[in-house]
Amino acid sequence: MENLLKSNSLIGQAYWLIRLRWVAIVTLATASFVAGTVMRVSLPASALYTMSGLLLAYNLVLYELLRYWTRGNKDPSPTRIGDILTFQISGDLFILAAILHFSGGIENPFSFFFVFHMIIASILRPRWQSYLQATLAVVLFGGLCLLEGAGVIPHYGLTGFSGHGLYSNGTHVLGYLLVFTITLYLVVYMTTSISEQLRAHQEELEKANTQLEEKDQVKNEYVLRVTHDIKGHLAAIESCLEVVASGMLGPLNDKQKDFVGRAHRRTTKCMAFVMALLKLTRMKLSGRLDVERFSLHDCVLSSLASVQSRAREKSIVLHHQIDPAIREVQGEAVLIEETITNMLFNAVKYTPAAAWAWKSSRTVTSSRSRSRIRASASPRPHCRTSSRNSTGPRTPALSSAMGRAWAWPLPSRSSNGTAAASGSRTIPAAAAPSRSHCPTT
Amino acid sequence: MAQGRILIIDDDPDITEAMTVVLENRGYEVCSARDSVEGREQLQKAKPDLIILDVMMRTSQEGFELSRELKNNAKYKDIPILMLTGVKDKTGLDFKSAAGDESWLPVEEFLDKPVKPSVLLEKVEDLLQKS
Repeated sequence: MENLLKSNSLIGQAYWLIRLRWVAIVTLATASFVAGTVMRVSLPASALYTMSGLLLAYNLVLYELLRYWTRGNKDPSPTRIGDILTFQISGDLFILAAILHFSGGIENPFSFFFVFHMIIASILRPRWQSYLQATLAVVLFGGLCLLEGAGVIPHYGLTGFSGHGLYSNGTHVLGYLLVFTITLYLVVYMTTSISEQLRAHQEELEKANTQLEEKDQVKNEYVLRVTHDIKGHLAAIESCLEVVASGMLGPLNDKQKDFVGRAHRRTTKCMAFVMALLKLTRMKLSGRLDVERFSLHDCVLSSLASVQSRAREKSIVLHHQIDPAIREVQGEAVLIEETITNMLFNAVKYTPAAAWAWKSSRTVTSSRSRSRIRASASPRPHCRTSSRNSTGPRTPALSSAMGRAWAWPLPSRSSNGTAAASGSRTIPAAAAPSRSHCPTT
Repeated sequence: MAQGRILIIDDDPDITEAMTVVLENRGYEVCSARDSVEGREQLQKAKPDLIILDVMMRTSQEGFELSRELKNNAKYKDIPILMLTGVKDKTGLDFKSAAGDESWLPVEEFLDKPVKPSVLLEKVEDLLQKS
């Protein structure tokens, strides 16, 4: 259901009224049939069916009129649509009064349906218009009751349903109309108060949302600028380190080479983070994804290279085996590499001084489907996992991470395949999902 | 040893210095400038065979403007320009594919920073040979 409190959804509100009227038409026709045929209530059936038909025609005209005005994404003026809404609500009051006239007048409990119309008017139209609609309802129904009571117009009694004569009982009519009038005005007062509060609250929320979006934009622009500056400094550091590492400024001993190499690797890594941040921020600002072709094979190798030193520190030997069928994919290279690297880092981090295995497989079901990278670790024989696919447990962060770092296979080159880095060491429980039976380390 | 005179116009002295070491190590004669004003002076003095030009210096488009100016000047239009920048990361625009467009980006080659020494030397040699 569309947001009926929103002032800019007037067309939606107009269509909503039309949909409600379809229900009312069916209900009127059915109620006339049931009352006349099943309940044996004396009713001018032909008049009521005629009313149903008129209502149907009236609704069709309104529907076509709205379609005509909104055809080809035309945006009719709010005033015009507002007038249509007012016309519909007023028209409905006339029709309800006519139906009540042919079905018992004041004796018909369906007179309470005026309340629904007041609620609708109070939600969709301004307060003053709602009070006018309430006045119109009081005049129409009051006039109907008074004219019937005075014998100016005929009264169609509900023989077999309610007692006769109430319509001509002046005290009853006046009392009923008094309660009816108070009820309608109270309904309008309460509903307009609530809907105005809700509308104001909604406007505040929309304003707050707009402000948040603006702040987010400012933040993203700031991040973009700062990150770009950081990248400039990193580029300078990297250039200087490369000069030193290449021996252009003189030979380095092994220890110096090692430290310069470490600094260079860290700078490269930092640069990758900065590039990813730049890319993400740019995508946020532009609101579109920035995909590129890249080699998944190289991506996996690069990730493995990133964790080599950490693995060496723990005397863990990394083995890998990548299916040659896995070549280029299209996606967010930096994010995917980061995801795989993080996964590997976690695997190394939570692995005791024992071997482990990491396996990446990519399944392509069709050229349009997304490829999947699945990571798993094979336990040592004494450390079984109960993973259903027998490829071992998934690294916990992978599923959510892959939600952001995705890749599509390139149709021309993709094929089913598996990339695997396999080995034969233990994985700890910390790196494994809950079904793992590995001992906690 | 390679031969040739190269002018680096870049506002980052560290990057300029690192590139200078790399290029001098290969045998090139290198001079540098920190912005387009200094760059024009150096152009007259040094008469370089190649210009390595940064994009964002005092303004975000200084390098672009200077490259257009040089390519419209009969005296300098034959000097190849290797443009180095990280502006793609900020804007998302692929300037590399636009390199060579005479009206918009009249440079012979476009590389994103940071550039590996081997790549820099390869491009420089390539551009000098072509010229």
